[in-house]
Amino acid sequence: MLLLQVLTNGLALGGLYACIAVGFSLVWGVLNVINILHGSMIVLGGYLAFFAHQYFGINPFLFAPFAGAVLFVIGFAIQRLAINPVMGRPVLITLVLTFGINLFFDNAMLAAFNADYRKVIIDPPLGVFEIGSVLLPVDRLYATLLGLALVGALWLLLRGTQLGRAIVAVRMDRDAAALMGIDVRLTYAVAFALGAFMAGAAGALLSGIFPISPVSSGSYLGKAFVICVLGGLGSIPGVVAGGFALGVIESFGALAFGPEHALTISFGLLLVLLILRPQGLLGVKGFN
Amino acid sequence: MKLKTLLTVSTLATALVSQALPAAAQETLKIGAPLPLTGALSPEGIKLRQGYELWLDKVNSAGGIKAGDKQLKVELLFYDYQSVTPKAVQLAEKLISDDKVDLLFSPFGSGAAKAVSAVAEKYGVPLLASSASSAEVFDQGYKNLFGLYTDNSTLSEPIASLIQERLPNVKRVAILARNDLYPLSLANEFEKSAKKRGLEVVFFEKYPIGTLDHSSALTQLRAARPDWIVITGYINDLIIARKQAGELRVRGQVLTLINGPAYSEWINAVGPLAENVTTASWFHPVLNYKSEDVFGSTQNFVAEFKKKFGTEPDFTQASGAAVGVIAQLAVERAGTKNRDAVRDQLVKGNFKTFFAPVSFGPTGIANSYIPPVFQIQQGKVQVVLPAEIATSEFRTGIGH
Repeated sequence: MLLLQVLTNGLALGGLYACIAVGFSLVWGVLNVINILHGSMIVLGGYLAFFAHQYFGINPFLFAPFAGAVLFVIGFAIQRLAINPVMGRPVLITLVLTFGINLFFDNAMLAAFNADYRKVIIDPPLGVFEIGSVLLPVDRLYATLLGLALVGALWLLLRGTQLGRAIVAVRMDRDAAALMGIDVRLTYAVAFALGAFMAGAAGALLSGIFPISPVSSGSYLGKAFVICVLGGLGSIPGVVAGGFALGVIESFGALAFGPEHALTISFGLLLVLLILRPQGLLGVKGFN
Repeated sequence: MKLKTLLTVSTLATALVSQALPAAAQETLKIGAPLPLTGALSPEGIKLRQGYELWLDKVNSAGGIKAGDKQLKVELLFYDYQSVTPKAVQLAEKLISDDKVDLLFSPFGSGAAKAVSAVAEKYGVPLLASSASSAEVFDQGYKNLFGLYTDNSTLSEPIASLIQERLPNVKRVAILARNDLYPLSLANEFEKSAKKRGLEVVFFEKYPIGTLDHSSALTQLRAARPDWIVITGYINDLIIARKQAGELRVRGQVLTLINGPAYSEWINAVGPLAENVTTASWFHPVLNYKSEDVFGSTQNFVAEFKKKFGTEPDFTQASGAAVGVIAQLAVERAGTKNRDAVRDQLVKGNFKTFFAPVSFGPTGIANSYIPPVFQIQQGKVQVVLPAEIATSEFRTGIGH
């Protein structure tokens, strides 16, 4: 029973991890930009959900697409104004640029919201699912399901729509895509904004589960990094697999070696994987 | 550095004014304070400074400190050590040799206070440590180091005694600690306090800094069937841990979480799950000591702090003002700012402050008060120990 509970814990955590990482993977995979802003965008999504809940009583799960929409607009603007001029440059340039914007973003949030930890408290509480003696918190289940639904929608968008094919085409060959009449700069901006949408929605979904504070952005970014490398860049199923894998590994690692070594185990496995399978679990070259 | 310039300008201005008014040839008491105003510890550094400033304004607006037949204006020299301990040491050295300060206030935390105490000892400058509670800071036989906080074990002992007295059927203890200097040292004290009373420690695990999920640790903790659960860490850890303990239906009779639950930020973030959680802290605005310092009582200090800064003071902010009033009382009693005379008064102790009644033990660490035990009841912080200042009865049970 203990093992089943630990597995459930791991899967419930993994679902949240997948939500955290998917926008980051999209931006890295398509734009070849390591978006250091990603963690702060999740936090901002969390704040939007917090205030929507506090002042208008809106449920954060229902609010997730709206938080995503606000971040979509912000992401689009940031990409057009700041990142587009350096697109196609070495990855280090965009890394430093987003790092700088991130400093600005975090400090602006510190000034606006201060560093106090806040959390949405859903009243009445959503409670816990009991399957035999195994417990599964309902808020984690909802966040995972809604997160996966958004990930699924993104996947369909990339595979089935003209916009999606344009994004994939730009990723595969920017020059050829331009020759086919695709507006490359617009496509970049839309892809970045979609990443921001996923971050904002994830922030809202997590706002009742993790405390919200501008200083949390680093831990989200760190997790997103590991999950992307673990699952393989440029693949949406890869991100989902990476998220669940990390959640389950951390859970069983903590059980077997004690919680203090859970992170060591997951990073150790990551290193082994990078040596044996550098493209990640489901990594591919283009984005699909 | 800007602050320093400002202070110099204001000193110059004061000097000019006093020349114009020949009667007011005033001496100053100079106190040096290295502070982490930028970098990782900046939130704490800013809080300490707020405490210093409240005290400073209060003293100087009343004409300064009365030392014998003189009135001493107080001048506080701040320098930012950027949360870098070696820099704090350099700045302490500069404050003593260039600025010729009479007394020093410590940098934030145990590690930096210990490092600076060596400099203070070398020059014989009394150093008041505002935020050091680890016994290792005070084990060097220094004569100039005085710490406001009592030892970490004074946080674990009262709770353990309370439980032993009220709940004799509590036998099994589980401890989950953040793997970090202070939270881990605190967890070790809880383990000692439990074992000393014949309780069985059935679970003792550490979690790494930055943990986002405690479900695996709490699943194992639950399987150990503890009666008393202790989790140490900071506010973020304790919000997540409390929520997950509720979801995983961790049962027991007492849940102790340190540090965080005494602050409204934590209570707001966990909601009804805060009920009956116990914690301990050196200071809380709910206390009510009558004092012989400039504030007169804890409640008056809290009211003045709120008026100036708009929020209730937490223990770091209160610590800043507390080292101020202790320095003031020591200088007043000595009747001079002479370092040796002030040090003698600090050794004698017995300062009735708004923070607590403060005297220092042979190593320099405060030993004159027991940090109160708090419990959250109906969303409010209540003192349940010591009995003299208790605001409510201790309750048992863990909510879900």
